[in-house]
Amino acid sequence: MSNSIVKLLALDKLSNLFNMIKQNGGIRGSLYKLYRQEELKDGVLVGEDELGNKYYENPRYFYGRNRWVEYNDKAYLDYDGSQVTAEWYGWLHYKTDLPPHKDPSRPKYKWMAEFTENMSGTTGQYVPYSTTREKIEPWVPKQKSSA
Amino acid sequence: MLRQPLTRALALSPSRVAPLAARKFAAQADKVEVFIDDKPVYVPPGTTVLQAAAEIGVEIPRFCYHERLAVAGNCRMCLVEVEKSPKPVAACAMPVMKGMRVKTNSDLTRKAREGVMEFLLVNHPLDCPICDQGGECDLQDQSMAFGSDKSRFTDIHFSGKRAVEDKDVGPLIKTIMTRCIHCTRCIRFASEVAGVDDFGTTGRGTDMQVGTYVEKMFLSELSGNIIDLCPVGALTSKPYSFAARPWETRRIDSVDVLDPLGSNIVVATRTNEVLRILPRTNEEINEEWLSDKSRFACDGLKRQRLVTPMIADSRGNLTPVEWEEAIVAAATALRDCPPDKLLVVGGDLADAESLVALKDLANRLGSEAVCTEHYFPLDGAGTDLRSSYLLNTKIANVEDADFVLLIGTNVRFEAPLLNARIRKAFIHKETDVALIGPKVDLTYEYTHVGDSASIVKDLATGTSSHEVLKRLENSKRPVVILGADQLKTSEGPALLAYTQELALSLQDKLENKEWKVLNVLQRTASQVAAMDLGYKPGVGEMLQKGPKVVFMLGADAGVITRENLPKDCVVIYQGHHGDAGASIADIVLAGAAYTEKNGTYVNAEGRAQQTLPAVTPPGKAREDWKIIRALSEVVGARLPYDNLEEVRARLAEVCPSMVSYGDVQNNNYFAQARALAQSLQKPVSGTLDVQLKQLEDFFMTDSISRASPTMAKCVQAVIKQKQSPY
Repeated sequence: MSNSIVKLLALDKLSNLFNMIKQNGGIRGSLYKLYRQEELKDGVLVGEDELGNKYYENPRYFYGRNRWVEYNDKAYLDYDGSQVTAEWYGWLHYKTDLPPHKDPSRPKYKWMAEFTENMSGTTGQYVPYSTTREKIEPWVPKQKSSA
Repeated sequence: MLRQPLTRALALSPSRVAPLAARKFAAQADKVEVFIDDKPVYVPPGTTVLQAAAEIGVEIPRFCYHERLAVAGNCRMCLVEVEKSPKPVAACAMPVMKGMRVKTNSDLTRKAREGVMEFLLVNHPLDCPICDQGGECDLQDQSMAFGSDKSRFTDIHFSGKRAVEDKDVGPLIKTIMTRCIHCTRCIRFASEVAGVDDFGTTGRGTDMQVGTYVEKMFLSELSGNIIDLCPVGALTSKPYSFAARPWETRRIDSVDVLDPLGSNIVVATRTNEVLRILPRTNEEINEEWLSDKSRFACDGLKRQRLVTPMIADSRGNLTPVEWEEAIVAAATALRDCPPDKLLVVGGDLADAESLVALKDLANRLGSEAVCTEHYFPLDGAGTDLRSSYLLNTKIANVEDADFVLLIGTNVRFEAPLLNARIRKAFIHKETDVALIGPKVDLTYEYTHVGDSASIVKDLATGTSSHEVLKRLENSKRPVVILGADQLKTSEGPALLAYTQELALSLQDKLENKEWKVLNVLQRTASQVAAMDLGYKPGVGEMLQKGPKVVFMLGADAGVITRENLPKDCVVIYQGHHGDAGASIADIVLAGAAYTEKNGTYVNAEGRAQQTLPAVTPPGKAREDWKIIRALSEVVGARLPYDNLEEVRARLAEVCPSMVSYGDVQNNNYFAQARALAQSLQKPVSGTLDVQLKQLEDFFMTDSISRASPTMAKCVQAVIKQKQSPY
């Protein structure tokens, strides 16, 4: 009965809001989160990957929004989807319900490459080299011996 | 030799010598009336039907006929119907007769053409898709225009078409002899124009082959022209093979600068790259030929290029820098230099715009030491009178000469197309040639008078007992050509004075007062423009003073070396190739080559012509006069021109003839030059020697051809051929 009154007065929403603010580190922390990821959510911390990204779950949100990632603070505003590691990708995209540390069928071999994010648009990006010969061969001056 | 009565008789046909427009000294004749497709046309007697048809714009198809070669009449493509003639006649060999009625488009004519074309195609491979001639092939075009729409050739026994083994004629010409249709144009060109009697045919009928009998290189400086002459793809350009189709290329009319004649060329480019260079017809200079160096050295434009300005670092190694840094460094060097210690040197390939800008800059800085690399005597009239350093006869008129005296020049390699003219006069006009200088192969017979300079003196003073003197005196249109290289020595002034005396005393006695006898053949494309602009020829005197700053504008002849400069001298090099000049430089400014700029060049006749930009200068390189203009701003001696028109207005101020493109002025003041030279007639004792004696010396003479791999291959091939027993 009291539950229905709480619902009627939308007090549960209010308590969720307080919960969120509390979980996100008070008003200051919540404002920072809002500034950084334009969203304030509460949820259960499921795990953390090697890059320091935190993965949360809250079944109160509808399917598709009930799992999310909060990127490492170091990334600040320069975060993007390619920073989700390959291990966590499957859980985040509902390919599996088992997070990597709880999944027994995920072997790790030493030949596996380390995860790298997509470097496009940065100085570390891949630039293909031209295989065609230069049209003009420049003159290379003769180097004098260092003296 | 070719000089036979028969060829002389054929030579009477007016088309084989330059048209009257280019030649002032030819005779006119009465005309006969003929009818081509019922249209009347008046032509001189001896004209062929084909030429008469061309007069009124009726083109008769042909393969073997070429207006600059002897008539062969063996391809039969030009068969036309002539009224009252039982059989079709070959238009290229048939002289017109009064009242002749020619039908170039009758059923009989068309049937004859279709028959000839069918036979040609039966023995021609169907490899047009991989043939380099595709798109500019006479056989392709004429089979479309005049051929039948069907063929009776069916290879029912699958025995294959006629096949001929390819020949190796050197690194320039690729032969695919199966495609040959036996027009014999290449054979006739080789023996008539190039003077190399190596080509010929062997066998007959289906076994006929064009070739050199034994495997042999085509040892000629004009060999590339047979590529243009070949109506099919049997002879194609080796460096250009499989490079592009003619419809893909952009063609820009330009002027060659690798020899002093300024041959007219077409630069074919694609994707900002010079692919090949072809001759452009100019009756007054190169007719439709081009020397091999001018044609094939264009791959040198892509190698050893200066693509960025450079400055020597603390160790003396040249390192790439930005323009700003290089200009500031050059400006600082120029500003710190006392005016009398600044030396400016204009090189072989410099255009008149950059030469005038550089001279103006040097003069504004107070220096008068503005020189060219090649010496010319300044005694007497010096370079004040244009007549003493130009080809006054003019190139086209040389073929009307009746006696040519060459003094200390190997025209064949110094100016190949002038030599082709002399050879043409020798063959078709009975012109005789005499040479004073080392014995060289000029491709025609000549009287070798000796190689001592005193012969010139004896001829000039009339004390010589040699027959040449008498022949010179008796000739109606003599030509004397002096090689400018001979004037470098201390005896140069005297030699020039004697040559002037000889030529002008001959000229005075002539009935034809228009005819000019005296010619001086310069060696480089820039020399005439530089002397017109007031450059001092030769750097020797200036080097003695020990310059502090040397500004070299493409000076790569090796006249200036580190050894003959003071230790602390700053060398600024501006040019387009890393060659002798750039390798001794402290500051390198990257300029543009002749295919990359709009530049004025004055040829050995004194004819101003301009190159047009075909491609952009590579990398950070810029047009030369712009670099000098930018430099002047930083030095603080701003030059008053900001665009090409203004630079050319300045050129016109200095030398008005330099902007009247294509025209050549008549030179005068011969008598004054002769009078001034009287006092210089001192005894001479030296011998005359020329720099380019053999074919292998011809190919690499400047920074572009030295960078060209094709030219290097040519030199190797010629040396190899010389060792072969054939």
